[in-house]
Amino acid sequence: MNKILSIFFGLIFLASGNGFSQDLDELMNAELKPTVDFATATFKSTRIINGHSIEQMKENQLDFRISHRFGTLNSGLYGLFGLDESHIHFSLEYGIKDWLMLGAGRASQNKTYDGFAKVRLLRQSSGTKFMPVHLSYFTSIEIMTLKFPERPEGTSNYFSSRLAYVNQLLIARKFNENLSVQLTPTFIHRNLVKTELDQNDIYALGLGGRYKLSKRLSLNAEYYYTYNPNAKSLEPRPYNALSLGVDIETGGHVFQIMVTNSQGMREGSFIPQTTGSWADGDIHLGFNISRVFAFNKK
Amino acid sequence: MLKKLFILIFITASIGAFGQSKFIAKNAYISFYSSTPLEDILGESNEAVTILNAETGEIGFQALMTTFHFKRALMEEHFNENYMESAKFPKARFNGKIEGFNKDMLTAPVANIKVTGLLNVHGVEKTITVPGTLGIENGKLVGTSKFKVTPEDYGIVIPAIVRDKIGKEMEVTVKANYLPFGK
Repeated sequence: MNKILSIFFGLIFLASGNGFSQDLDELMNAELKPTVDFATATFKSTRIINGHSIEQMKENQLDFRISHRFGTLNSGLYGLFGLDESHIHFSLEYGIKDWLMLGAGRASQNKTYDGFAKVRLLRQSSGTKFMPVHLSYFTSIEIMTLKFPERPEGTSNYFSSRLAYVNQLLIARKFNENLSVQLTPTFIHRNLVKTELDQNDIYALGLGGRYKLSKRLSLNAEYYYTYNPNAKSLEPRPYNALSLGVDIETGGHVFQIMVTNSQGMREGSFIPQTTGSWADGDIHLGFNISRVFAFNKK
Repeated sequence: MLKKLFILIFITASIGAFGQSKFIAKNAYISFYSSTPLEDILGESNEAVTILNAETGEIGFQALMTTFHFKRALMEEHFNENYMESAKFPKARFNGKIEGFNKDMLTAPVANIKVTGLLNVHGVEKTITVPGTLGIENGKLVGTSKFKVTPEDYGIVIPAIVRDKIGKEMEVTVKANYLPFGK
Protein backbone atom coordinates (compact mmCIF):
# COMPACT_ATOMS: atom_id res chain seq x y z
CA MET A 1 0.00 0.00 0.00
CA ASN A 2 2.77 2.38 0.89
CA LYS A 3 4.35 1.70 -2.46
CA ILE A 4 1.20 2.59 -4.36
CA LEU A 5 0.83 5.68 -2.25
CA SER A 6 4.34 6.88 -3.07
CA ILE A 7 3.82 6.24 -6.78
CA PHE A 8 0.62 8.20 -6.60
CA PHE A 9 2.35 11.05 -4.81
CA GLY A 10 5.17 10.89 -7.29
CA LEU A 11 2.79 11.13 -10.24
CA ILE A 12 0.97 14.11 -8.82
CA PHE A 13 4.26 15.78 -8.06
CA LEU A 14 5.44 15.17 -11.61
CA ALA A 15 2.18 16.36 -13.12
CA SER A 16 2.04 19.60 -11.19
CA GLY A 17 5.75 20.30 -11.29
CA ASN A 18 6.44 19.55 -14.93
CA GLY A 19 3.08 20.21 -16.52
CA PHE A 20 2.97 23.91 -16.18
CA SER A 21 5.84 25.12 -18.32
CA GLN A 22 4.60 23.04 -21.22
CA ASP A 23 1.15 24.34 -20.61
CA LEU A 24 2.56 27.88 -20.70
CA ASP A 25 4.32 27.18 -23.98
CA GLU A 26 1.20 25.70 -25.51
CA LEU A 27 -0.90 28.65 -24.40
CA MET A 28 1.53 31.06 -25.98
CA ASN A 29 1.74 28.99 -29.15
CA ALA A 30 -2.02 29.22 -29.41
CA GLU A 31 -2.00 32.96 -28.88
CA LEU A 32 0.64 33.76 -31.51
CA LYS A 33 -1.34 34.74 -34.56
CA PRO A 34 -0.77 32.58 -37.62
CA THR A 35 0.92 34.72 -40.24
CA VAL A 36 1.22 34.98 -43.99
CA ASP A 37 4.87 34.28 -44.66
CA PHE A 38 5.97 36.23 -47.70
CA ALA A 39 9.06 35.11 -49.53
CA THR A 40 11.48 37.99 -49.06
CA ALA A 41 14.86 38.68 -50.62
CA THR A 42 14.14 36.53 -53.66
CA PHE A 43 16.95 38.47 -55.29
CA LYS A 44 19.49 40.70 -53.59
CA SER A 45 18.93 43.58 -55.97
CA THR A 46 16.31 45.11 -58.22
CA ARG A 47 18.31 43.75 -61.19
CA ILE A 48 19.25 40.14 -61.80
CA ILE A 49 22.14 41.35 -63.96
CA ASN A 50 20.97 43.59 -66.81
CA GLY A 51 17.24 43.03 -66.54
CA HIS A 52 14.90 43.81 -63.68
CA SER A 53 14.15 41.30 -60.95
CA ILE A 54 10.88 41.22 -59.01
CA GLU A 55 12.59 43.06 -56.15
CA GLN A 56 11.70 46.69 -55.73
CA MET A 57 12.29 49.51 -53.28
CA LYS A 58 9.92 49.59 -50.32
CA GLU A 59 7.96 52.73 -49.54
CA ASN A 60 10.16 55.83 -49.07
CA GLN A 61 13.39 54.04 -49.94
CA LEU A 62 15.60 55.51 -52.63
CA ASP A 63 18.04 53.47 -54.65
CA PHE A 64 20.90 55.26 -56.38
CA ARG A 65 22.45 53.01 -58.99
CA ILE A 66 25.58 53.38 -61.08
CA SER A 67 26.42 50.78 -63.68
CA HIS A 68 29.35 50.40 -66.02
CA ARG A 69 30.06 48.09 -68.92
CA PHE A 70 33.57 48.11 -70.28
CA GLY A 71 34.75 47.26 -73.78
CA THR A 72 35.31 43.72 -75.01
CA LEU A 73 37.83 41.33 -73.51
CA ASN A 74 39.02 40.46 -77.03
CA SER A 75 40.28 44.00 -77.58
CA GLY A 76 43.44 42.57 -76.01
CA LEU A 77 46.21 44.41 -74.24
CA TYR A 78 45.89 47.28 -76.74
CA GLY A 79 42.47 48.11 -75.25
CA LEU A 80 43.46 46.84 -71.79
CA PHE A 81 40.93 44.03 -72.27
CA GLY A 82 38.10 46.49 -72.62
CA LEU A 83 38.89 48.77 -69.68
CA ASP A 84 39.82 51.64 -72.03
CA GLU A 85 36.20 52.00 -72.99
CA SER A 86 33.27 52.34 -70.67
CA HIS A 87 29.55 52.87 -70.93
CA ILE A 88 27.65 54.20 -67.96
CA HIS A 89 24.07 54.08 -66.82
CA PHE A 90 22.92 55.79 -63.67
CA SER A 91 19.50 56.06 -62.17
CA LEU A 92 17.43 57.11 -59.19
CA GLU A 93 14.70 54.69 -58.24
CA TYR A 94 12.13 55.32 -55.54
CA GLY A 95 9.50 53.29 -53.74
CA ILE A 96 6.29 55.35 -53.80
CA LYS A 97 4.48 52.47 -52.13
CA ASP A 98 5.66 49.01 -51.24
CA TRP A 99 3.99 47.84 -54.46
CA LEU A 100 4.99 50.72 -56.75
CA MET A 101 8.47 51.82 -57.74
CA LEU A 102 9.28 54.62 -60.17
CA GLY A 103 12.69 55.36 -61.60
CA ALA A 104 14.52 57.50 -64.09
CA GLY A 105 17.93 56.99 -65.57
CA ARG A 106 20.32 57.94 -68.27
CA ALA A 107 22.65 55.81 -70.34
CA SER A 108 25.66 57.09 -72.23
CA GLN A 109 25.01 54.56 -74.99
CA ASN A 110 22.99 56.45 -77.64
CA LYS A 111 22.50 59.20 -75.03
CA THR A 112 19.33 57.53 -73.82
CA TYR A 113 17.03 58.65 -71.01
CA ASP A 114 14.60 56.18 -69.50
CA GLY A 115 11.67 56.34 -67.13
CA PHE A 116 10.09 53.24 -65.67
CA ALA A 117 7.45 51.89 -63.35
CA LYS A 118 7.44 48.53 -61.60
CA VAL A 119 4.21 47.34 -60.05
CA ARG A 120 3.96 44.37 -57.74
CA LEU A 121 0.88 42.30 -58.46
CA LEU A 122 1.39 39.11 -56.46
CA ARG A 123 3.78 38.03 -53.74
CA GLN A 124 4.94 34.51 -53.16
CA SER A 125 3.74 33.38 -49.76
CA SER A 126 3.12 30.42 -47.51
CA GLY A 127 1.48 30.15 -44.10
CA THR A 128 -2.14 31.23 -43.95
CA LYS A 129 -2.08 32.32 -47.61
CA PHE A 130 -0.49 30.26 -50.34
CA MET A 131 0.87 31.84 -53.51
CA PRO A 132 3.47 29.95 -55.52
CA VAL A 133 5.09 32.87 -57.37
CA HIS A 134 5.85 36.55 -57.33
CA LEU A 135 4.34 38.50 -60.22
CA SER A 136 5.23 42.06 -61.20
CA TYR A 137 4.69 44.25 -64.22
CA PHE A 138 7.48 46.40 -65.55
CA THR A 139 7.14 49.12 -68.14
CA SER A 140 9.52 51.76 -69.39
CA ILE A 141 9.91 54.42 -72.03
CA GLU A 142 13.33 55.07 -73.50
CA ILE A 143 14.20 58.30 -75.23
CA MET A 144 17.21 58.27 -77.50
CA THR A 145 18.68 61.76 -77.78
CA LEU A 146 21.49 61.35 -80.31
CA LYS A 147 21.42 64.08 -82.94
CA PHE A 148 19.42 63.02 -85.99
CA PRO A 149 21.45 62.54 -89.14
CA GLU A 150 21.00 65.08 -91.95
CA ARG A 151 17.86 64.37 -93.93
CA PRO A 152 17.08 65.10 -97.57
CA GLU A 153 15.25 68.38 -98.34
CA GLY A 154 11.53 68.22 -97.74
CA THR A 155 11.61 65.46 -95.09
CA SER A 156 11.67 65.93 -91.34
CA ASN A 157 12.50 64.13 -88.12
CA TYR A 158 9.95 63.52 -85.39
CA PHE A 159 10.42 63.34 -81.64
CA SER A 160 8.37 60.16 -81.60
CA SER A 161 11.09 58.50 -83.64
CA ARG A 162 13.27 58.64 -80.56
CA LEU A 163 10.96 56.54 -78.40
CA ALA A 164 10.91 52.87 -77.50
CA TYR A 165 8.49 51.13 -75.13
CA VAL A 166 9.24 48.13 -72.95
CA ASN A 167 6.67 45.85 -71.30
CA GLN A 168 7.61 42.91 -69.12
CA LEU A 169 5.93 40.45 -66.83
CA LEU A 170 8.26 39.35 -64.07
CA ILE A 171 7.38 35.90 -62.74
CA ALA A 172 9.68 34.61 -60.03
CA ARG A 173 9.83 31.89 -57.46
CA LYS A 174 12.14 31.54 -54.51
CA PHE A 175 12.47 27.76 -54.41
CA ASN A 176 14.48 27.74 -51.21
CA GLU A 177 16.83 29.96 -49.25
CA ASN A 178 19.45 29.70 -51.99
CA LEU A 179 17.74 29.21 -55.32
CA SER A 180 15.47 31.74 -57.04
CA VAL A 181 14.39 31.64 -60.68
CA GLN A 182 12.62 34.23 -62.80
CA LEU A 183 10.86 34.10 -66.16
CA THR A 184 10.44 37.40 -67.96
CA PRO A 185 8.19 37.53 -71.03
CA THR A 186 9.00 40.76 -72.82
CA PHE A 187 7.46 42.92 -75.53
CA ILE A 188 9.38 45.89 -76.90
CA HIS A 189 8.13 48.37 -79.46
CA ARG A 190 10.54 50.75 -81.15
CA ASN A 191 8.95 53.59 -83.11
CA LEU A 192 11.85 53.86 -85.51
CA VAL A 193 14.45 51.28 -86.44
CA LYS A 194 17.55 51.62 -88.60
CA THR A 195 16.55 49.61 -91.65
CA GLU A 196 13.52 47.88 -93.07
CA LEU A 197 14.99 44.56 -92.00
CA ASP A 198 15.01 45.57 -88.33
CA GLN A 199 12.01 44.71 -86.21
CA ASN A 200 9.83 47.39 -84.65
CA ASP A 201 8.18 44.86 -82.36
CA ILE A 202 10.39 42.48 -80.46
CA TYR A 203 9.18 39.48 -78.49
CA ALA A 204 11.58 37.95 -76.05
CA LEU A 205 11.71 35.68 -73.02
CA GLY A 206 14.15 36.21 -70.20
CA LEU A 207 15.35 33.44 -67.94
CA GLY A 208 17.26 34.45 -64.86
CA GLY A 209 18.29 32.97 -61.57
CA ARG A 210 20.47 33.27 -58.57
CA TYR A 211 22.12 30.79 -56.29
CA LYS A 212 23.36 31.95 -52.92
CA LEU A 213 26.87 30.78 -52.18
CA SER A 214 26.85 32.41 -48.75
CA LYS A 215 24.66 34.89 -46.92
CA ARG A 216 26.26 37.82 -48.70
CA LEU A 217 27.39 36.34 -51.97
CA SER A 218 25.32 34.93 -54.79
CA LEU A 219 25.94 33.65 -58.28
CA ASN A 220 23.59 35.03 -60.94
CA ALA A 221 22.83 34.15 -64.54
CA GLU A 222 20.53 35.75 -67.05
CA TYR A 223 19.62 34.92 -70.64
CA TYR A 224 17.22 36.75 -72.93
CA TYR A 225 15.95 34.76 -75.90
CA THR A 226 14.57 36.88 -78.74
CA TYR A 227 11.87 35.21 -80.87
CA ASN A 228 12.15 37.58 -83.80
CA PRO A 229 15.62 39.09 -83.82
CA ASN A 230 16.80 41.58 -86.38
CA ALA A 231 17.90 40.05 -89.65
CA LYS A 232 21.10 38.02 -89.26
CA SER A 233 22.36 39.41 -92.54
CA LEU A 234 22.75 42.83 -91.03
CA GLU A 235 26.01 44.11 -89.61
CA PRO A 236 26.48 44.04 -86.72
CA ARG A 237 24.70 40.72 -86.23
CA PRO A 238 22.22 40.45 -83.36
CA TYR A 239 22.80 37.94 -80.57
CA ASN A 240 20.84 36.91 -77.51
CA ALA A 241 22.15 38.47 -74.33
CA LEU A 242 23.81 36.08 -71.90
CA SER A 243 25.24 37.36 -68.64
CA LEU A 244 26.93 35.75 -65.66
CA GLY A 245 27.65 37.57 -62.47
CA VAL A 246 28.00 37.69 -58.71
CA ASP A 247 26.15 39.82 -56.16
CA ILE A 248 28.11 41.00 -53.16
CA GLU A 249 26.11 42.56 -50.40
CA THR A 250 27.65 44.79 -47.73
CA GLY A 251 25.00 46.38 -45.53
CA GLY A 252 23.42 49.23 -47.52
CA HIS A 253 25.29 48.46 -50.76
CA VAL A 254 24.95 45.72 -53.31
CA PHE A 255 27.78 45.26 -55.80
CA GLN A 256 27.04 43.26 -58.91
CA ILE A 257 29.99 42.24 -61.02
CA MET A 258 29.35 40.50 -64.31
CA VAL A 259 30.58 39.34 -67.67
CA THR A 260 28.13 39.77 -70.53
CA ASN A 261 28.04 39.93 -74.29
CA SER A 262 25.85 43.01 -74.10
CA GLN A 263 27.05 46.53 -73.58
CA GLY A 264 23.57 47.96 -73.13
CA MET A 265 22.00 48.19 -69.68
CA ARG A 266 18.40 48.94 -70.57
CA GLU A 267 15.85 46.49 -71.88
CA GLY A 268 15.46 48.40 -75.18
CA SER A 269 19.17 48.01 -75.69
CA PHE A 270 20.39 44.67 -74.44
CA ILE A 271 17.41 42.65 -75.67
CA PRO A 272 17.20 43.72 -79.34
CA GLN A 273 20.62 45.29 -79.81
CA THR A 274 23.19 42.94 -78.32
CA THR A 275 25.81 42.52 -81.01
CA GLY A 276 28.57 40.80 -79.07
CA SER A 277 29.18 37.08 -79.44
CA TRP A 278 30.46 34.95 -76.56
CA ALA A 279 32.11 32.62 -79.08
CA ASP A 280 34.12 35.49 -80.57
CA GLY A 281 35.15 36.81 -77.18
CA ASP A 282 32.98 39.95 -77.35
CA ILE A 283 32.63 39.79 -73.60
CA HIS A 284 32.23 42.88 -71.48
CA LEU A 285 33.24 43.13 -67.88
CA GLY A 286 30.89 45.32 -65.89
CA PHE A 287 29.44 46.24 -62.54
CA ASN A 288 26.31 47.68 -60.96
CA ILE A 289 26.48 49.49 -57.64
CA SER A 290 23.34 50.06 -55.63
CA ARG A 291 23.15 52.34 -52.62
CA VAL A 292 19.87 52.56 -50.72
CA PHE A 293 18.74 55.57 -48.69
CA ALA A 294 15.78 55.49 -46.32
CA PHE A 295 13.49 58.51 -46.19
CA ASN A 296 10.78 57.31 -43.85
CA LYS A 297 10.34 59.17 -40.61
CA LYS A 298 9.80 57.14 -37.50
CA MET B 1 -8.86 7.30 6.05
CA LEU B 2 -6.59 6.52 3.14
CA LYS B 3 -9.44 7.09 0.73
CA LYS B 4 -10.10 10.50 2.21
CA LEU B 5 -6.42 11.33 1.89
CA PHE B 6 -6.46 10.31 -1.76
CA ILE B 7 -9.46 12.49 -2.46
CA LEU B 8 -7.89 15.39 -0.64
CA ILE B 9 -4.66 15.06 -2.60
CA PHE B 10 -6.57 14.71 -5.81
CA ILE B 11 -8.60 17.85 -5.17
CA THR B 12 -5.52 19.86 -4.21
CA ALA B 13 -3.73 18.63 -7.29
CA SER B 14 -6.62 19.50 -9.59
CA ILE B 15 -6.88 22.97 -8.10
CA GLY B 16 -3.19 23.28 -8.75
CA ALA B 17 -3.55 22.15 -12.33
CA PHE B 18 -6.78 23.79 -13.43
CA GLY B 19 -7.43 26.60 -11.07
CA GLN B 20 -4.20 28.45 -11.68
CA SER B 21 -4.77 32.03 -12.50
CA LYS B 22 -2.70 33.49 -15.28
CA PHE B 23 -2.12 36.86 -16.83
CA ILE B 24 -1.55 37.40 -20.51
CA ALA B 25 -0.39 40.17 -22.82
CA LYS B 26 -0.92 39.53 -26.52
CA ASN B 27 0.63 42.71 -27.84
CA ALA B 28 3.71 43.00 -25.70
CA TYR B 29 6.47 45.33 -26.87
CA ILE B 30 9.98 44.03 -27.44
CA SER B 31 12.75 46.06 -29.00
CA PHE B 32 16.47 45.82 -29.40
CA TYR B 33 18.73 48.73 -29.95
CA SER B 34 22.35 49.22 -30.77
CA SER B 35 24.13 52.48 -31.31
CA THR B 36 27.47 53.05 -32.97
CA PRO B 37 28.94 56.25 -34.39
CA LEU B 38 28.09 54.94 -37.86
CA GLU B 39 24.58 53.67 -37.40
CA ASP B 40 21.74 53.27 -34.93
CA ILE B 41 19.76 50.09 -35.20
CA LEU B 42 16.30 49.75 -33.68
CA GLY B 43 14.04 46.78 -34.25
CA GLU B 44 10.61 46.79 -32.64
CA SER B 45 7.79 44.31 -32.30
CA ASN B 46 4.38 44.98 -30.79
CA GLU B 47 3.17 41.46 -31.33
CA ALA B 48 4.97 39.43 -28.70
CA VAL B 49 2.89 37.15 -26.49
CA THR B 50 3.62 36.71 -22.80
CA ILE B 51 1.95 34.74 -20.02
CA LEU B 52 2.52 35.10 -16.30
CA ASN B 53 1.47 32.37 -13.90
CA ALA B 54 0.08 34.12 -10.84
CA GLU B 55 0.54 31.02 -8.67
CA THR B 56 4.15 30.14 -9.39
CA GLY B 57 5.70 33.30 -10.78
CA GLU B 58 6.60 31.53 -13.98
CA ILE B 59 6.75 33.85 -16.94
CA GLY B 60 7.05 33.16 -20.66
CA PHE B 61 7.56 35.23 -23.81
CA GLN B 62 7.30 34.32 -27.47
CA ALA B 63 7.86 36.56 -30.47
CA LEU B 64 7.95 35.84 -34.19
CA MET B 65 11.09 37.26 -35.74
CA THR B 66 9.15 38.59 -38.73
CA THR B 67 7.11 40.88 -36.47
CA PHE B 68 10.19 43.04 -35.80
CA HIS B 69 10.19 46.19 -37.88
CA PHE B 70 12.91 48.68 -38.72
CA LYS B 71 13.15 52.13 -40.18
CA ARG B 72 15.23 50.87 -43.09
CA ALA B 73 13.57 48.18 -45.19
CA LEU B 74 16.98 46.73 -45.98
CA MET B 75 17.80 46.35 -42.29
CA GLU B 76 14.66 44.34 -41.82
CA GLU B 77 15.55 42.15 -44.77
CA HIS B 78 19.07 41.61 -43.51
CA PHE B 79 17.82 40.98 -39.98
CA ASN B 80 15.64 38.13 -41.21
CA GLU B 81 17.89 36.84 -43.99
CA ASN B 82 21.42 37.22 -42.72
CA TYR B 83 21.33 37.40 -38.95
CA MET B 84 18.30 35.73 -37.40
CA GLU B 85 17.70 33.32 -40.30
CA SER B 86 13.99 33.66 -39.60
CA ALA B 87 12.97 30.98 -42.08
CA LYS B 88 14.96 28.45 -40.03
CA PHE B 89 14.37 29.96 -36.59
CA PRO B 90 11.04 31.77 -36.77
CA LYS B 91 10.59 32.39 -33.06
CA ALA B 92 12.39 33.77 -30.03
CA ARG B 93 11.33 32.33 -26.66
CA PHE B 94 11.92 33.00 -23.02
CA ASN B 95 10.74 30.72 -20.23
CA GLY B 96 11.62 31.86 -16.76
CA LYS B 97 10.62 32.41 -13.21
CA ILE B 98 10.42 35.50 -11.04
CA GLU B 99 12.90 35.17 -8.19
CA GLY B 100 11.37 35.20 -4.70
CA PHE B 101 7.88 35.38 -6.17
CA ASN B 102 4.82 35.92 -4.03
CA LYS B 103 1.31 36.79 -5.09
CA ASP B 104 1.40 40.18 -3.46
CA MET B 105 3.76 41.32 -6.22
CA LEU B 106 0.80 41.27 -8.60
CA THR B 107 -1.29 43.71 -6.59
CA ALA B 108 1.44 45.95 -5.20
CA PRO B 109 2.76 49.10 -6.88
CA VAL B 110 5.56 48.65 -9.41
CA ALA B 111 8.69 47.22 -7.81
CA ASN B 112 11.98 45.80 -9.00
CA ILE B 113 12.19 42.09 -9.70
CA LYS B 114 14.67 39.60 -11.07
CA VAL B 115 13.79 36.93 -13.57
CA THR B 116 15.89 33.87 -14.36
CA GLY B 117 15.18 31.59 -17.26
CA LEU B 118 16.06 30.20 -20.64
CA LEU B 119 16.31 32.58 -23.59
CA ASN B 120 16.11 30.87 -26.94
CA VAL B 121 17.16 33.01 -29.91
CA HIS B 122 18.40 31.84 -33.31
CA GLY B 123 18.06 28.25 -32.11
CA VAL B 124 20.53 28.77 -29.26
CA GLU B 125 19.38 28.48 -25.66
CA LYS B 126 21.06 30.25 -22.76
CA THR B 127 20.21 30.78 -19.12
CA ILE B 128 19.99 34.45 -18.27
CA THR B 129 19.04 36.51 -15.25
CA VAL B 130 17.60 39.90 -16.04
CA PRO B 131 16.33 42.82 -13.96
CA GLY B 132 12.82 44.12 -14.42
CA THR B 133 9.83 45.70 -12.79
CA LEU B 134 6.40 44.33 -12.04
CA GLY B 135 3.34 45.77 -10.39
CA ILE B 136 0.22 47.86 -10.72
CA GLU B 137 0.48 51.02 -12.76
CA ASN B 138 -2.70 53.02 -13.46
CA GLY B 139 -4.77 50.08 -12.29
CA LYS B 140 -3.09 47.60 -14.62
CA LEU B 141 -0.49 44.92 -14.10
CA VAL B 142 2.60 46.04 -15.99
CA GLY B 143 5.89 44.24 -16.45
CA THR B 144 9.05 45.74 -17.94
CA SER B 145 12.63 44.75 -18.40
CA LYS B 146 15.79 46.12 -19.91
CA PHE B 147 18.87 44.01 -20.42
CA LYS B 148 21.74 43.40 -22.79
CA VAL B 149 22.45 40.45 -25.03
CA THR B 150 25.47 39.72 -27.17
CA PRO B 151 24.52 38.44 -30.64
CA GLU B 152 27.63 36.22 -30.80
CA ASP B 153 26.39 34.28 -27.75
CA TYR B 154 23.48 33.09 -29.85
CA GLY B 155 25.51 32.04 -32.85
CA ILE B 156 24.71 35.22 -34.79
CA VAL B 157 27.75 36.02 -36.88
CA ILE B 158 28.45 39.65 -37.74
CA PRO B 159 30.96 39.96 -40.56
CA ALA B 160 33.94 42.30 -40.29
CA ILE B 161 32.63 44.59 -43.03
CA VAL B 162 29.59 45.69 -40.99
CA ARG B 163 31.18 45.15 -37.56
CA ASP B 164 31.53 48.90 -37.02
CA LYS B 165 27.84 49.50 -37.68
CA ILE B 166 26.40 46.92 -35.32
CA GLY B 167 26.98 47.22 -31.59
CA LYS B 168 28.72 44.44 -29.67
CA GLU B 169 25.71 44.32 -27.41
CA MET B 170 22.04 44.83 -28.10
CA GLU B 171 19.91 46.55 -25.50
CA VAL B 172 16.64 44.70 -25.23
CA THR B 173 13.57 46.49 -23.90
CA VAL B 174 10.42 44.63 -22.91
CA LYS B 175 7.07 46.06 -21.89
CA ALA B 176 3.87 44.16 -21.28
CA ASN B 177 0.45 45.24 -20.04
CA TYR B 178 -1.06 42.12 -18.53
CA LEU B 179 -4.71 41.22 -18.43
CA PRO B 180 -6.28 38.28 -16.60
CA PHE B 181 -6.17 35.25 -18.87
CA GLY B 182 -9.39 33.97 -20.41
CA LYS B 183 -11.54 36.90 -19.35
